[in-house]
Amino acid sequence: MTRRGFSLRWLELQLLVIPAAVSLIGLSMISLARVGSTRWSWGDLTVSLVFIVAVFATSFWLTLLKVQGDQILLPIVVMLACLGLLLSQRLGPSLPEGGVWASLSERQLVYLIMGLALMWVTVGLVRHFFWLKRLKYTWAVLASFLTFFTMAFGTDLGSGARLWLDLGPITVQPGEVVKVLLVLFLAGYLDDYRELITRSYRVGPFSLPPLPYLIPLVGMWGIAVLAVILQNDLGNALLLFGIFLVMLYVASGRLLYVVGGLAAFAAAFVVALRLVPRVAQRVDIWLDPWSDPTGIGMQPVQADLAFAHGHILGTGWGFGFPQAIPVVATDYAFAALGEELGSLGTVAVIGLYLALVMRGLLVASRIRNSYVRLLSVGLVSVLGLQTLIILAGTVRLLPLTGITLPFISAGGSSLVTNFLLVGLLIRASEFARG
Amino acid sequence: MRASSREGNSKVRGVLQVAAILASILIIAYGVLITEDRADPRWLGMLVVVGGLWIIALWPRRGYQLARSARPLVHLALVLAVGFGLVTIQVLRAQLLDRDRILAKASDPAAGVVDLRRYIAERQIERGRILLSDGTVIARDHTDGRGIRYRVYEGPSSYLAGYFSPGLYGAAGIERAFDRELSGSSTSGWNAWLDGILHRTRRGNDVVLSVDPRLQELGQTMLGERAGAAVLLDADSGAVLAFVSSPTFDPNQLSVPLGAPTEDVERARAYLEMLQKDGRGPLLLRPIQGLYVPGSIFKTVTAAAALQSGIATPTSVYRDDGALAVDSLVIIEQNRPDPTRVSFTLQEAYGYSLNVVFAQVGLELGAQRLEEMARAVGFEERIPFDLPVAPSQIAQTPDFLTSRAGIAETAFGQGQLLVTPLQMALLTAAVVRDGTIPEPYLVREIRSPDGGLIWSRQPKEWRRAFSGETAAALRDLMVWSVEHGYARPARIDGVTVGGKTGTAEVGDRAPHAWFIGFAERAGKRVVVAVVVEHGGSGVQVALPIGRALLEAAVQGS
Repeated sequence: MTRRGFSLRWLELQLLVIPAAVSLIGLSMISLARVGSTRWSWGDLTVSLVFIVAVFATSFWLTLLKVQGDQILLPIVVMLACLGLLLSQRLGPSLPEGGVWASLSERQLVYLIMGLALMWVTVGLVRHFFWLKRLKYTWAVLASFLTFFTMAFGTDLGSGARLWLDLGPITVQPGEVVKVLLVLFLAGYLDDYRELITRSYRVGPFSLPPLPYLIPLVGMWGIAVLAVILQNDLGNALLLFGIFLVMLYVASGRLLYVVGGLAAFAAAFVVALRLVPRVAQRVDIWLDPWSDPTGIGMQPVQADLAFAHGHILGTGWGFGFPQAIPVVATDYAFAALGEELGSLGTVAVIGLYLALVMRGLLVASRIRNSYVRLLSVGLVSVLGLQTLIILAGTVRLLPLTGITLPFISAGGSSLVTNFLLVGLLIRASEFARG
Repeated sequence: MRASSREGNSKVRGVLQVAAILASILIIAYGVLITEDRADPRWLGMLVVVGGLWIIALWPRRGYQLARSARPLVHLALVLAVGFGLVTIQVLRAQLLDRDRILAKASDPAAGVVDLRRYIAERQIERGRILLSDGTVIARDHTDGRGIRYRVYEGPSSYLAGYFSPGLYGAAGIERAFDRELSGSSTSGWNAWLDGILHRTRRGNDVVLSVDPRLQELGQTMLGERAGAAVLLDADSGAVLAFVSSPTFDPNQLSVPLGAPTEDVERARAYLEMLQKDGRGPLLLRPIQGLYVPGSIFKTVTAAAALQSGIATPTSVYRDDGALAVDSLVIIEQNRPDPTRVSFTLQEAYGYSLNVVFAQVGLELGAQRLEEMARAVGFEERIPFDLPVAPSQIAQTPDFLTSRAGIAETAFGQGQLLVTPLQMALLTAAVVRDGTIPEPYLVREIRSPDGGLIWSRQPKEWRRAFSGETAAALRDLMVWSVEHGYARPARIDGVTVGGKTGTAEVGDRAPHAWFIGFAERAGKRVVVAVVVEHGGSGVQVALPIGRALLEAAVQGS
């Protein structure tokens, strides 16, 4: 790793050829399937060409900024985003337009560009991490503010939860940003009080965790989760809870926190099952969607049909009928891929996410700076847990909770936030040694 | 010491890892077998166990010294990897193992699920046509202005195709029996694979029937409005040349495609209800599903049994003085040509259809030999055919043939006998084929959409009914019946014709009129069986239809 001059990020550039090729082939398949003939024009490939230019420009921008960080994370993420883009091009014309400012296909491309742009800015701004750490309470306040503001003034876009802020032409989902802010806060706080949290009090024969230092932490987290539950956003509640447990465990190395946390979660779940009808309903649909296959069970039943029709090779882009699944572009993006790309496609996508998470954790494990390391683990956990929760929901391993599949689901807030997150990770990976 | 104990540990670990992985595979296999659904609590419980086993299998080795701070990261990676592994299992189960289960569930109308993909797939297929032997199309697909693919049936014989009604009743007849060919799903090989890959509209294969439209329409016209059936076979190959059933139905009115408008569905439903309420049974394919009392035509079977067993020859003499008492049954003879004559040969008794003589022959044979011959010609069995054939019946109650009266009645064709026209035509075929019965068929060949021959029927012998000598003797009986007996109107100049008429008593209503017969000319041999329900006299009603069919069949060649 020389610091002299510009050294191209060769590995990254080479790996980026794969998503570039996939996007070209995929888009031509989609447009040819639609017209049903082999006539084509360059116009059909515009979206892919824009995508390829943006992606390679990103790599060059990293070169220009002399970023020495990891060269594998970006290609994986770009590959996933490429599948998401193709899916939006596939689904866009088949879904009814919601009267928004642009069609699904156009919007996804714009969001992708915005996400990459935000990543450029992030990578440019965050060179040293100390100010991020110093501002930890700012992040906490900002996260709480966003949560409560959305709760008070948010709008419901049809999911039964007020998760969106209406900003005139566009709507944003602050929940997506909140989880990154929470990671920023937790990383800073836990790094500062790591010693104290790890230590334990002895009361007679029992060794207890340092309750006084955990109380503010648990309080902060409790407020966030409570807010999310009040907002009816169970997926994000689960995600925030998971992130909290993971970071606490990684910072302290104490399994007791995880066990206690899981017990608390189980208790909360049992209570919620009794008190919140929405939770009970979700569980019922999960266990037996066929009891009401055209009503509340329609989503999982149609998703099962999509998976089943996909079989091994899939129907091919454009030849399935994923639009039969309600809210396919966000909740059930994975089922749409399963139908058109088959089990080869689904396993490949799971493999990509697994590779992303494992690479992220490997890089994090080599980081010496304890704050940056904790932050990286937190950010990777956001991606890993979010993917796991929504995938488990789509394949009926867990009840479905409406959160997005990172980089693939349609949706601007999610895509933009996740690219910001990747920007942070790439910068953090510069701290890795060996 | 330390090193060796570490080695021992690692060996134990290795065994443990393999055992954990094997156990997880076994649990998954067992779970897939016992559970139907991916969210069955038992299956989910097994997945939890599998996850635990995987964590054991993947747990980092002791010897691999981790920095204390890296340990939580490894644990996190483990948990996430196991989570993704379980997701993979769930999705593969849906896509590979549960696939058929899920699709079957969706196609079950009771589930109330609409699987739009099936509609689309059906629409992709252009179903093959059904043709008669000269190329007349009786069933084909037609796409209307709305893009809905209807099945269209043409011509008076289109009911031979059955109907295809995926939007309401499924399929029946040839449409059902040859669905795999017509829908193209039986096509395999390079072209089918290419069509699938390129998402081309698939075209099913054409099914060509052996039915000759000229003979078919002749039979249909002659039968007219009367209920009944006629089946004309080529005796050598077993090919069905005419397959007439009356009354019949219009398959167009039952053809409801997927995605048809509700009013079309309702109209088809009403039409089917009307057909079902119609007491005459228009949906019945009478040549193979109609079961009738045979009357005198069954004397052919009795004669066959007598000749075969050697208890009689065509010239054996029997006494018939106008009546015969068998236990409580009194048989009154009405068929004698001359009321003063009391002795007849078997040949004469067959030609004049003398019940008293055949009752005696039957009693002499006994139940066992009579029943054996009936079974030998195909009674009580499913005749191999392209469509399901109702088995003809010797007796309804098991002990009917234990009484002498029962045997006597059965021997001249009443009793509890019930036969299909096809069965009687096959019996006639055995007479002209030296005792063997051909396997009858309706479908002659399968052709690809571009006309290429895919499959062609190879005529087969089904079974031997009786010996060649018996067949020759029976043939003489049948010819005598036409030349000198009551079946005289069936004579055709320049053609060898044999036949037997029947007038089967059915309770209070008019009797069924029957005719079976054969015609031979220039190496062509055809057989016919005609029944007119409650038509009256076999000679006056059924015979003319049979004769016309035989004449047209041998002269057309």
